[in-house]
Amino acid sequence: MSALAKTAVELRIAGSKLPAIPLPTNCPGCGVALEIEALRKHNYVCDCGHHFRLGADAWIALIADRGSWQERWGDIRSHDLLNWKVPKPYQEVVEQLLEDGLNEAVRTGTCTLAGRPIWLAAFDFRFVGGTLSIVAGERLARGMEQASSSGIPYVLVSASGGARMQEGVLALMQLAKVNAALGRMHAAGVPYFSVLTDPTFGGTAASLALLGDINIAEPGAAIGFTGPRVIKQATYADLPPGFQSAEFQLAHGQVDLVLPRTELRRLLAHLLEMYP
Amino acid sequence: MTRHGRKPEETTLSVWQVIELARHQDRPYSLDYIRRLAPDFIELHGDRLSGDDPALVGGIGTWHGRTTVFLGHQKGRSLKERVARNWGMMHPEGYRKAIRLAHHAAKFRFPIVSLIDTPGAYPGAGAEERGIAAAIAAAIMEWFRIPVPIVAAVIGEGGSGGALGMGVADRVIMLENSIYSVASPEAAASIVWRDNARKVEAAEQLQLTSRDLLAMGVVEEVVTEPKGSAHVDHDAVATALDEALHRHMQSLLTQPTEDLLQHRYERFRYIDSLVHAEPQFGPKV
Repeated sequence: MSALAKTAVELRIAGSKLPAIPLPTNCPGCGVALEIEALRKHNYVCDCGHHFRLGADAWIALIADRGSWQERWGDIRSHDLLNWKVPKPYQEVVEQLLEDGLNEAVRTGTCTLAGRPIWLAAFDFRFVGGTLSIVAGERLARGMEQASSSGIPYVLVSASGGARMQEGVLALMQLAKVNAALGRMHAAGVPYFSVLTDPTFGGTAASLALLGDINIAEPGAAIGFTGPRVIKQATYADLPPGFQSAEFQLAHGQVDLVLPRTELRRLLAHLLEMYP
Repeated sequence: MTRHGRKPEETTLSVWQVIELARHQDRPYSLDYIRRLAPDFIELHGDRLSGDDPALVGGIGTWHGRTTVFLGHQKGRSLKERVARNWGMMHPEGYRKAIRLAHHAAKFRFPIVSLIDTPGAYPGAGAEERGIAAAIAAAIMEWFRIPVPIVAAVIGEGGSGGALGMGVADRVIMLENSIYSVASPEAAASIVWRDNARKVEAAEQLQLTSRDLLAMGVVEEVVTEPKGSAHVDHDAVATALDEALHRHMQSLLTQPTEDLLQHRYERFRYIDSLVHAEPQFGPKV
């Protein structure tokens, strides 16, 4: 990344301080006791390279210039269309998560990054596993449609288990809805940078996450279509270590770069300069 | 809902019984329909990149006087055939073949008929290594740009992204005893309960029968099956499917390409607009 360090882009405006996140006492990567404040300043990346999962709030703080974030369509809400009752009533699950301060599996809006305007969409794995729901799909599609008409670059951060079971086949239809909008964004020549974080699976991987003009994966992130548990169940296969890791996807031609989170803001700023 | 006289049986069948009919080993598969619809069908093979996926058949045939591209998931009946067809579960090569043939159709202005009958895309290591997620994603996006009419029919199982990868069309219809779901009941049970033995419960929650899908506005029509379900009379169900497919195709053939693509976009873009119209719906057809 030394070439990038010399870029003309000086990050005049920094992102915000990241919010506190629940952390174990020791790093699952290296076992060393964690120093919370140091880790937070280091974008929750341990010295050993372990990347802790971030929620949408943290991603917005990390990517958006301070004070530039304008959330869009934050008030659309999920409904229990299928009358889903077991193991837990879906409506209660959603209401509890909203009460906990989470706002669906995808948040989207506009902001600037190093002074340049972007559309930003971030998945939140804490909200029903970051699953693609009607609301998530609607927020993504609307943002893409607006990006198509304004020409403003689109940045996605994904972390998702796939389509949301509790919304049934309408959740599956979000793949088509989002990819329809994505096709228009591509046709309009809008730059689309997709950041894949741990984990990105199922319908999210099989729709927008892997179709970036540039796909950037975080080190060690698990990325794939079918999760390893289901693959083992279905095929009795022994999966090698590192199967479906970001590095595996790099070797198999699915991502352009595997990049530490600490370098991400600088790279995105540089890309925005190269794709004006 | 139906133009064939008999109303769909006022369902005495449980959801699980419908699933068993959808998976019945004597149920007609894609080639059973394609050979009846277009007796001169010529199968075309390969994705022109690395392979041919036997779980998806594709080719050309004359259908109501017009050369048409047919695509369909293909299952097998004997054990040997089932293995060869991989139970109708596609690998990345299948989606790439489908798009290759869609471009072929676009070049010659042939309409496309797509028959869906898959438990899902193949959940195996090889599919992952060769980019199954990206293959499905690229196919879903590309279908929106194919400038010829596309009619899809779910003829058995419509399982997850593996089905949707073949299911972006101007009209989507379903046979009465077929299912279409965000995930197979087994996979949904495995995801929600981490226990795929709870498939029956999952199936009942998912609302995956043809009536449910019609009520949700995800499909345009449900085609009635012969008494006793499709497997008892292949000819009769093929005739009914042919009539419905043709009727939908007729109305598309006259549309200017620009309108066709705009309507296809809107069909999926606003597919869940019922969220505002009807916050609660259950089985009520």
